[in-house]
Order: sequence, then structure tokens, then C-alpha cells
Amino acid sequence: MRKKQNSIPTLNHDSLQQEKRKEQLFSLGLSIPALISIVLIIVIPIGWLFSLSFVNSNGDFSLENYQKMIEYKSYARVFYTTFEVSVLTTALCVFIGYPLAYFLSQTPEKYAGFFLLAVLLPFWTSLLVRTYAWLVLLQRKGLINNFAIDLGIWDTPIKLVHNLNGTLIGMVHIMLPYLILPLYGAMRRIDKNGIYAAANLGATPAQSFWLIFFPLSLPGVVAGTLIVFILCLGFYVTPAVLGGGHVIMVSTHITAILENQFNWGAASALGVVLLVTTFIILIVLTKLLKLNNILFGKA
Amino acid sequence: MDALPIKIRSLTKTYGSIYALKSVDLNINSGEFLTLLGPSGSGKTTLLMAVAGFSRPDAGSVLFGEKEMVLSPPHKRDVGMVFQNYALFPHMTVAENIAFPLKLRKIKPKEQADQVNAALATVQLTDYSKRKIDQLSGGQRQRVALARAFVFKPRILLMDEPLAALDKKLREQMQIELKQLHRQLGVTTVYVTHDQREALTMSDRVAVINEGEIIQIGTPEQIYSNPKNSFVADFIGESTILPLTPNNRGDLCYSDSILYSAKPEFNNKNWALVIRPERLFPISNSENPKTSITFEGKIMEFVFQGESTLGIIQLPNSDQLTIRISPTIAASFTDFKTGQTIMVGLNHNDKILIPAN
Amino acid sequence: MRQNLFARINNCSLLKTFGVLFGVLFCTSSISVAAPVTVVSWGGSYGKAQDAALFKDASKNSGIEINRESGASMTKTCLQVESKNVTWDLVVTGSGGAANAAAKGCLEKIDYNVVDVSDFFPNLYTDYCVGSDVFATVMSWNTEKYGEPGSPSAPKSWADFWDVKKFPGTRAYRANNVDGALEPALMADGVPPEKVYEVLSTEEGIKRAVNKIRELKPHISVFWKSGAMQAQLMKDAEVDMTTGWNGRFDNAKKDGAKVGYTFNQALLDYDCFAIPKGAPNKDMAMKFLAEVSKPEYQANLPFHITYGPTNKKAYELTTAPKKLIEALPSHPKNVPLMLPVSLDFYAKHRTKALELYMEMLSE
Repeated sequence: MRKKQNSIPTLNHDSLQQEKRKEQLFSLGLSIPALISIVLIIVIPIGWLFSLSFVNSNGDFSLENYQKMIEYKSYARVFYTTFEVSVLTTALCVFIGYPLAYFLSQTPEKYAGFFLLAVLLPFWTSLLVRTYAWLVLLQRKGLINNFAIDLGIWDTPIKLVHNLNGTLIGMVHIMLPYLILPLYGAMRRIDKNGIYAAANLGATPAQSFWLIFFPLSLPGVVAGTLIVFILCLGFYVTPAVLGGGHVIMVSTHITAILENQFNWGAASALGVVLLVTTFIILIVLTKLLKLNNILFGKA
Repeated sequence: MDALPIKIRSLTKTYGSIYALKSVDLNINSGEFLTLLGPSGSGKTTLLMAVAGFSRPDAGSVLFGEKEMVLSPPHKRDVGMVFQNYALFPHMTVAENIAFPLKLRKIKPKEQADQVNAALATVQLTDYSKRKIDQLSGGQRQRVALARAFVFKPRILLMDEPLAALDKKLREQMQIELKQLHRQLGVTTVYVTHDQREALTMSDRVAVINEGEIIQIGTPEQIYSNPKNSFVADFIGESTILPLTPNNRGDLCYSDSILYSAKPEFNNKNWALVIRPERLFPISNSENPKTSITFEGKIMEFVFQGESTLGIIQLPNSDQLTIRISPTIAASFTDFKTGQTIMVGLNHNDKILIPAN
Repeated sequence: MRQNLFARINNCSLLKTFGVLFGVLFCTSSISVAAPVTVVSWGGSYGKAQDAALFKDASKNSGIEINRESGASMTKTCLQVESKNVTWDLVVTGSGGAANAAAKGCLEKIDYNVVDVSDFFPNLYTDYCVGSDVFATVMSWNTEKYGEPGSPSAPKSWADFWDVKKFPGTRAYRANNVDGALEPALMADGVPPEKVYEVLSTEEGIKRAVNKIRELKPHISVFWKSGAMQAQLMKDAEVDMTTGWNGRFDNAKKDGAKVGYTFNQALLDYDCFAIPKGAPNKDMAMKFLAEVSKPEYQANLPFHITYGPTNKKAYELTTAPKKLIEALPSHPKNVPLMLPVSLDFYAKHRTKALELYMEMLSE
């Protein structure tokens, strides 16, 4: 093989190389503000969280905060509840959201905008208001129970809230748009000709849906599911209000520790464990489901 | 496999007050390669979609052989189709894409594999069966789409501008391949394009469509040499259209020369002359014209285009004439220079008469 | 500009841990602190009552300008102190919260040369906080269901609260916070009030209390998180019986709730004022605290909320009707019925007690 250097003429070579380096440095320079903000907003606080979690209530370095989590079963239960609520909310969101997003994606674009607005409308109301609205609807002498008893559908009030059911109802309502939006986007991007092609090749509408549309909508399902699931893990207001103290999630427990003990270390340790568990789950899921392929369309 | 003829009767489709198809009648012979040619928005794709079953017409009939199909859903029509953007399934491999119609027809896996391999061999993609769609080039995708469309041996094949996304060189190569494939498969093929050259290259017959109506139908030669009106003349090939005026005896004349002797049908109608640029030839000063149809004018522009040279000549009445001659001939006429006067001739056989607009 | 920024950064040791961005954000807010004393209380009827009875008049009479904020919390106070970015001067807190924060070093010592507590009830002030009002953690119930207080059918003791056969129905109890949660359970379990804290001083005692609540848990349909929630639960008749703070139930009753309560076996507790360590206007805050602690202001408090004065003299000065005065938790007639909350117990055992309580709640 011929050496490259020998074949390159020297005319202006050095200044051209210098120009090239300058340009590279400049584009690197453009990304510095972003890098700084990432370090400031993400790396430093998380690093701080980690280091705090190894500080006990006397301000000394210790593993006390983590030992406590093993010692008391409440921590394991709180994590279990957190994942239980998140998984159930996500699953319900997919069951309700998929048909909705499908309907939206099949509606002509000018009408879809209107329906999409209806989906997004709840975003314009405060989370707290929406949550308390559910309380008004679901409680013992709330609208639903009163109405059902008046109509004779059931005789004594049914416990719809201050438990897991109520929490799930509220959470699904709040999380649904987060699932529908990416899913709707993915569905809109599916090539209509692909569906035509399937029909043309002999697929019934049901076959077209399950063999072509559904697999192609999976990236949207995965994106929406991840967003909803991760948002659920850290959710506070809705389980606190609609769970009636029976649904204790990690965020609730963190608040309890802070309010009662001002113990940043113990609270940080809970945060760290939640962060790490979530991370591990994501990595395992990525490996298992080959999420990379689904999300980024690589082979 | 037996090819099927297609009979289209009074097919009509409206969008609001606009006709996409205006009572179209069309017979496509069994095994024929018919091209629907027209500008965008002419209704050619709507017609194809109605044949495939994707677009429901307002009225009319589509017969495959003797069978009325206009009410059948697309998946029951059993026609192969190649889409403009290929419409391959990105979540499947090449082999899975091609096997898709076979799977739906519940063909045994072993036979599926054989047929897929045969189809892959036909489109020269034998080594690509395991590839994902996004690992293929445009031309390769085109071949996969093709293989998928004919692997289940449909008796009718529809193609919607299948080559539009390819670059010129590849497009011309694929045109030849498609023609060969058609000969090999013998399937009735309806091909949609807006590229008149492509239509001329590939088709047994061409149907020229505009504003939802079939303007003219015929072999490429017929359409080219006998355009029915100025739209066809203009749309297919290059042409110069010159208005003709009748003299007191009813002959059709351009300037002072009589081009067509009087006929009864010339009355009460305006006529025009169509001249194909390549049919014009230059006449040198020394030479005696071999034809009685000659034009003399000033050279406005002479452009070397590789395989031919294009000239624009301005006639004394300021009409413009386009002429296309081979570079060899151009070289022998050294006086082809802008601003000079030149005489060109046209044989009587090459003049085309059309009703003027 | 550069010099200015540099000066700010120097002022702010937080920078070392948080980085420039946070530093600038926090420092900017600390620079803007002006002369008025920032007084922080709670929202709802409590804060309004203090404004009307204490703050407005005290500010006018003493000439000390104040800046009223809501959302008082010892957690936030400690966060301010630990990040060396204190903006609050005088903060309302529960007695237990104050003790906790004081132990963490988040509070200034009260200067009793400035604040005169000579007429206060005993035990209603500490080195770090001065009592503002006396309240009781009581049991309250739906009067339509169990009858008016004092009627023969009405519940009378914590044992009745636990007795779901005699008083069938749903209960509410405290969520995610152990303050005032264990004592009722022990009394229901037969421990005499005066022995409650003795029993609670051992882990077995705490476990005994938690177990007693565990026993009632199937009937506890809601765990409350705030005073506002206690009132709402009774107004909506979501539960039939709950624990809670007496003033909230009186105000709920004014709003039409069918609710009654008893001081019998209730927990006597007080709210207080504390000054965050390093408060920007510490001296003025101390003076303002001295002013609001005077009996003439506390004498007006019963008109706005049924929490009792901490200054004995207020009882002499008040023009409130006898019926209202006798309904106050610190009234001499009521005090003997109740168990005073032991700050000592919470200082020593809160962490352990909370862990065990959360253990029960999470089941």
C-alpha cells in the first residue's frame, strides 16, 4: 500500500489542516454549555445524593442507612408497592391508551387534532386539582357511590378510593397522555402503504393489524411505557391523596423520613436504591427485549 | 399461470365536485403490459387504486376475466402490487417480506422457502434473503417489492410509479429488467407513470390520461406518431405545434405552403401541425430540397447535448421551431451558428395533423 | 459585572458543594433580604387566626415591620440552615418538631431577657422555642352516628375508639408520622395515662403500642396527613371516627360538619415560635417574639380558633364568653383530663418509633 503522506501535495496543506482543527474545536466549543448544564443539573446532584446516602444522622460516614433498609421489612414492602403500582398503572395505560391512540391515528388529521386536544386537556389543570376531583368522585359519600346507591346498582358504599384501586384510577388518568402522545406519533409514522400492501398481498384487516401495524407500533408502545413507568416510580401526590395512607410508595416514605427526622442521609439512600433498581430494570429490559432495535431501528 | 384480462366500464370517482375519474372505459388484454400515463393529478393512480381495491369508486365496474371485482375488498382481489415507496415491511427480513403473501395463503413452509428462493433468483437477490430492509439500497428494495408482488403468482400485477425514486441510470436499467420480467411471467400488468419515456420504453400499449379521462390509447408508436390532440402531442415526446390556416379552397396551409389538401372534415374547425424535432433535417444552401415542406429562419440557440444537438429556430413570423439532429450531421453543417439563417425540411410522412385547441 | 459576581460567590460557601449555578441562584435570593422580619406560619384557619389575633396588632404596636409567609416546616428550616441560606426569621412549629430541629442545631437559643415568659404555664417553652398556643390531639366522631359528646351513647375513651363492636364503623388515623399516634393505643390497651410514657420508654412498649394499632388497622380506612384532611374527612363523612386536632374539628363544625370530640384522654400539646439559626433579622425577630407573647394578644386568639393561650394572664384579660373559654384545651378545667405530650420521649425515641410505625403502615 502506498503511504498517504507521500501522495499529498504540500501546497497550503498545513494551513488547511490548521483550519480543520479550528473548525473541530469550534464545534466542540458549541457543546460546552450543554455539557456544563448536564454536569450541573444531573451529575452533581446525583453525586451529592450518593454521597449523602452514606452519611448517618450524626453526620458521620456509615452504611447505617442501607443496613436499616435490610433490617426493616417496611422498606422492601415500599419498594414492592412502588413497582406494583408502576407496573399496574403502565399496563392499564397500555390497555386503555393503545386503542385510543389507534383511533386517533386512523382519524383524518384535521379531526385528530381536536381529539388530541381532548387528550391533552387534563395537562392544563393542576395535578392536585385532578387528583382531588377523583377523591370527590370516588369517596364513600362521593358522586359515584351516591349515584349508584340512588339508582339501586349497589346498596352500601363501595370502597373506591383510599386504597390501591383509587390510586390506580388517578394514576392512569394522569399518566395516559404520556403514553398516548409517543404512541400516537409512532402510529402516525407508520406507512399507510404498508397496510395497503398487506391487504393487497391477501391479509384480512385483522391480519394486517396484527402482522404489520402492531409490530410497527411497538417502538411507540415501548417509548410510552418507559416514560409512564419511570414517572410512576417517583410519583407522590396521587398515591398520597388517593391511597389513603394504604399505598405507601418510595416517595411517601422519603417524605416521612424527612418530615420526622430531617434525615437527609436516610432519604438519600432510598433515592439511591430507587435510582439503581430502576437502572438495573432498564438494563435488563434492554437486553431482554432488544429495546435498542425497537427504539432505534437497528438490526 | 394464466393471465387475466381486465375490463373497466364507466368507472367514476369524485372528490367533492371534482372528477378524479370520469366514466372510464378500458380493456386490458390478458398478458398485456399497459401503462397509464399522465401528469400528476390526472387520475392515473386513482384508477390503479380502484383496480387494486383501495379506492372505492362512485360507480362503474371492474371485471377480472368475467368476474365482477368492484365490490371485493383488496385482500380478496389476488393482484400483485408494487408501491411507489415500495411499502416493504421494515420489521421483516427480505425473505420474510417475500414469504408474507405465501404465509397468508397457508402454503407449506418448505414450498414457501422454495418459492421465495425462486423469486429471489428471478430478481437477482439470492444472497440477500436474511437482510433487513434498511440494509438495502433503493434498487434492491425495488426488486424485493417486485418479488413480493409476483411470488404468489397473481394473474394481475399493478405497479404505481415503482421506479420514481431511483436515479436515472438505475431507472433505465430497471425498465429493461421489468420488461424482461413481464415477458417471463406473462402476467397482465398495469403500470402507472408520469414519465413518457418510461411509458414508451416498456409498454405494449399506453393509455394517456388527463383530468380523469383516457385521452388516447394505443401502442407507443401509434401514440408517438399519431397523437390525437395537442395534449398528447405535447406530453409525449418533444414537439413543435404550429397553427394551420385554411386558404379559400379549404386547404390547410402554414405561411404560404399548402400542407393538406382540402377535405370535408377540415371545415369549421381549427387545425395544427405537430413537428417532432428529430424529424426535421437541415438543408444546405447548395443542396436541392428533397421535400416540399421547408422552413427558413434564424438560429436562436444551438446546444450540444451529447447524443444529439438541439437547435431553436425563429421563423420570420416569429413562431419558433425546435430541431434535434445527430452530432455527426451537426458537424457537417459548419454554418450552424447563432444568428445565421438556416433552412430545414420535413418529409410529408412525418407531418402530424391535430385539431387545434 | 464580573467583580459583582465574584463578590456573591465569595459570600456563599454553598458554592463548594453545589456549584456555580446553584450558588448564584441561592445567593441572589439571600442578598435581597430587607429589613422586615419574615414570619412564617401555616395556611388555612390557623394562619388566619394568628394574623388576626397576634401578628397585625403586634406589628402595629411595636413598629416592627413583618413579612408574612406560609408553609412553615422544620424540615425546610433545617434545609435553610444547613445550606447556610436562611431567609426565615420566626417560624411556627409543633413542639416536637422544634425539639427535633433544636437537637439538629437548626435553631437559635431564645433570649429570655427579651422574651418575658414569667406568666406562662410551665412546660410551654424551652431553650429553643416559645409556646404560641395550646392544642389537643383528640378523638372525634360523627355525631349522627354515635351521638353528641356527653350523651350516654357517645364514645368516651380510646378504648371506645378501638371497640369496633360497640362502635361499628370506619376509622382514620395518622399517616407517615408517629407524633401523637402511640399514646392513644397504649391507653386503649389499658395503660393508665400517667404510665404511658414509662411504657413507651422501652422498645417493647413501642411495639406494644404499634401492635395495638395493627389490631385496629383493618378498620382504619384512611390515614390522614394534615389538619385540613382531618376536617375534610369528617365533613365528607368519609370516616366515622378519627384522631386529630381539636381546633380543626371546631372549625369543621362551624362549616356544618356533624362532628364532636372529647378532651378525655386527649394529648395536650402546644405550638410554638422558633428562630432559625443564623436568621437574617435575629434580634428584631426576638423582639417581635417578645411582643406576640404578651397576654393582650393571646387573649384575642380564642375568637378565631379554639386553641388556648400559653400565657396564663391571657385568661384574665380575655373578653371571650365563658363557654368559649371553657372549650379551650389549656383551660384549667380541661387540662386534668389530658395527657401532656412528653418532648423527652420524642427526642429519644422518635426514630425508632417511626420505623416501627412505618413497618405497620406498609403491611
